Amino acid sequence: MILSLELKKLRRTGYLPIFLGGSILASAVPLVNMTVRSESFTSLPGDSFPILMDANWGMMAQLTILLVVCGCCLMYHTEYADKGDLKMNTLPIRQFSLFCGKFGVTLLAVVLSLLLQSASLAFSSIHWFADRSAGLKELVHSMGYELILLLPTLTLMLFAASLCQSMWISLGAGVILTFLGSMIHEGRLMLSLLPFAAPYRMLHAVSPEDVNTCLIICGAQTLLFAAMEMIYLDTRRKFA
Amino acid sequence: MNEFKIELIKIRRSHIFWILLIPAAMMWIPSALNADVNFRMNDIGISPEHNFFIQGFMGMAWFMIPAALIICTVLLNQTERTNKGFLKMLSLPVSTGRLCLAKFLVMLLLMTVQMLFTIVFYYAGALLASRLEDYDFVLELPYVIHGAAMIYLAIIPMASIFWMLAVLIQTPIFSAGICLASIVPSVLMLNTKLWAYYPMDYPFYMLMTEYGKLAEGVFTTEIKWIPMIPVSLAVTVLCLGISCLRFGKTETR
Repeated sequence: MILSLELKKLRRTGYLPIFLGGSILASAVPLVNMTVRSESFTSLPGDSFPILMDANWGMMAQLTILLVVCGCCLMYHTEYADKGDLKMNTLPIRQFSLFCGKFGVTLLAVVLSLLLQSASLAFSSIHWFADRSAGLKELVHSMGYELILLLPTLTLMLFAASLCQSMWISLGAGVILTFLGSMIHEGRLMLSLLPFAAPYRMLHAVSPEDVNTCLIICGAQTLLFAAMEMIYLDTRRKFA
Repeated sequence: MNEFKIELIKIRRSHIFWILLIPAAMMWIPSALNADVNFRMNDIGISPEHNFFIQGFMGMAWFMIPAALIICTVLLNQTERTNKGFLKMLSLPVSTGRLCLAKFLVMLLLMTVQMLFTIVFYYAGALLASRLEDYDFVLELPYVIHGAAMIYLAIIPMASIFWMLAVLIQTPIFSAGICLASIVPSVLMLNTKLWAYYPMDYPFYMLMTEYGKLAEGVFTTEIKWIPMIPVSLAVTVLCLGISCLRFGKTETR
């Protein structure tokens, strides 16, 4: 119920076009890269999929993170503009379910975006690396892994957007965090698992024993940020 | 001039200074703590103190300064939206074109502030690095100001494009999203022949040419003024003209 309500709210906000446009742009990255410089990649040894990821994922991940930032800011902006949040608070639903609805919508959008990007990666792999195995199984695993790595970023950004009434502050915070994330993601494992830095990690670059650690840490972070939102809503209600 | 002052009063409590200050400060702390990597660049002929300067400014010129510009467009476009303040502003006996230009000037002023923050924190970072590594990382002020000023001037065409998009596109996040998406591929564009027709890579181009002068075989050493200056002038005039004509048109319809 809350999910369909949230989807209805986004109808005329340009949410869908921006997510589609951003996803198409992110999907275009490997295609453009391969069209322009195909020799420099096809001459590399090894499986096709790691080559494609190493060459393109950094930019694709950054675009996806920026999409999440924009999407979260927009969703809370529509609440705070014209005091929609106060009207929502008078409805007989829990305030936290609003957050859950927005989380669901963003998750859906991110899944769609990743599907588009995987399609483009799969196409590049089949088209330009015809002589090697397409690595479709790795692709599915890898994208599932990226989805889980994106969850803390998503939850933290939704939490930040729910804190700030003015959109430029939440957008500014999101952009600053994206910037910091892009600086620290090459460092140590623990540092690079912070939100906004984690999505740059690639499954084939992580040693198998670290994969579960990554997933557990990201899951725990997601729960932590959701709990922070709950606490925030509780305190806001008490002091309002 | 009056409009300019009023715009400044409007953003007094907007917390924008923190958004400009925090990235400038955060940028230099890790690079000061990791200053020892600058000693490993001897093979391309760049001195450690110049490498420190270039590497630090790179993050700013590539991502943070364009992104800060976008945040400023959102801020300037959204401050009066609550309680229909925007309509009240448009009902004043001032031409909308002047209001639009005043906002654009405020944006440039905010960018000046960010550049100053960057320079101040550069010196703080360089002093800290010098203390940590026992090596003088501090460059003389005229050189630093010259580098920052070149980046600043290269921002203006980009700023006018972002401002035009913010004026033309009514849903605020949509324009911000397009602008953010446009800065991500700027490094790719810089390496193509079309770089001069893509103003989002100008600040990075300025810095990379400076890098090319200091280190061998990294980038071109001469700035190609010829396609760049006419294109940037045309882009700036065209975008500012369109935004002045279209400013507030949807609201007053």
